[in-house]
Amino acid sequence: MSLSHSALEKLATFRANNTRASQETFKNASTVLKSFKRLGDDGWAVLEQLFLASVDVGRLDVADECLRQLGKQFPDSPRVDVLTGIRMEATESPDVVLEYYAQLLDADSANAAIWKRKISVLRRTGKIEKAVEELSQLLDTFYTDVEGWLELADIYTSCNQYIPALQALSHVLLLAAQNPFYQLQFAETAYTAGDIPLALKAFLVAVEMSERDLSDKSPPVGISVRAWLGVKLCSRRLLLNSSPSASNTVVPKNLHLIEELATERVLGVYSSKSSSTRAPEGRDVVVGWVGDR
Amino acid sequence: MLGTVLLTFAAITVLHAAFSTYEHLSHLKAMGRPEGSLPIDIIVEALFALICGTLGASLNAPPLKEISWAAEMRKRNIDEMDSRLGFASFVNRGRNLFSGPSSQTKLK
Repeated sequence: MSLSHSALEKLATFRANNTRASQETFKNASTVLKSFKRLGDDGWAVLEQLFLASVDVGRLDVADECLRQLGKQFPDSPRVDVLTGIRMEATESPDVVLEYYAQLLDADSANAAIWKRKISVLRRTGKIEKAVEELSQLLDTFYTDVEGWLELADIYTSCNQYIPALQALSHVLLLAAQNPFYQLQFAETAYTAGDIPLALKAFLVAVEMSERDLSDKSPPVGISVRAWLGVKLCSRRLLLNSSPSASNTVVPKNLHLIEELATERVLGVYSSKSSSTRAPEGRDVVVGWVGDR
Repeated sequence: MLGTVLLTFAAITVLHAAFSTYEHLSHLKAMGRPEGSLPIDIIVEALFALICGTLGASLNAPPLKEISWAAEMRKRNIDEMDSRLGFASFVNRGRNLFSGPSSQTKLK
């Protein structure tokens, strides 16, 4: 039984979008082990995808079979070395795995993928300072690695150090300039750090980026909802008591109008006209919060 | 629907004009004047078929897809953008939640 066309398309979309939907990937691709030769070049990529999904899901038998096939086809490949390391991470102790990675990094010290796996193991086993140190070295070498800066921001955020997280995220904003998701993350981190004017500015930029091409007044969808909620939150706090900005961001002049617009947009999402049968979940909560002055 | 009808009609008309041209040219060749010009109605028929065919193809076009960056971003979600797969930890609860009692059986 070979893969259907739609399953292959879905797997290709997962590869292109870096989605980590392991259960669905495993379900769609588990038949590929018998028929991957028919898929040509894509077959190896799907095999790698299936390997990662099966390690995630816990099916190590399928993972071993995938790794065996990949190792047979690509004997000395660094990419297969990374997969071998991941397989070892699943069962062996962290020391064994770190030793394996150190051996590989001795042979080729600029292997970014292995370095990232080493940092991931360090973080998972609790050696956060060592992980941050290694990650900073990695980012010094490979500055344009958006994933690395995001991981650094995540590590800092998990330790409640929001200013260094903001610094890491500002590098992300430089590297991936037109991405509303990273702008939203920056805004929410700034809000948590206490810098409300900066958060308001970043929320407004996120709103503008995600609704830039819309000409009609349809209610917001996706992350626009989150961004508008952030705008409402920030503008209400600034109207109630103006807080100082650690980054010296200027507060917008028409704060009342911004707050009214945000209220209107948020209520537009949760109004009963926008859903077909009944009001959306959380409507009462949102209406109560929005109207509460 | 209208687009398909117009397109089929235009195709038939073009074929008819072509066949009429062939007949006319063989008629001229039979009459010994192989260099005659085409009668005007065949030319008008061919041009009319062109216009109808263009109209039918335009009406038959598939619906327009969104190509703006913001439209593409609306299709993504945060889990994709923040997945950081290079640093992903594969030692998680997945093995306990998803594998079940069949994890130790051999691959069929």
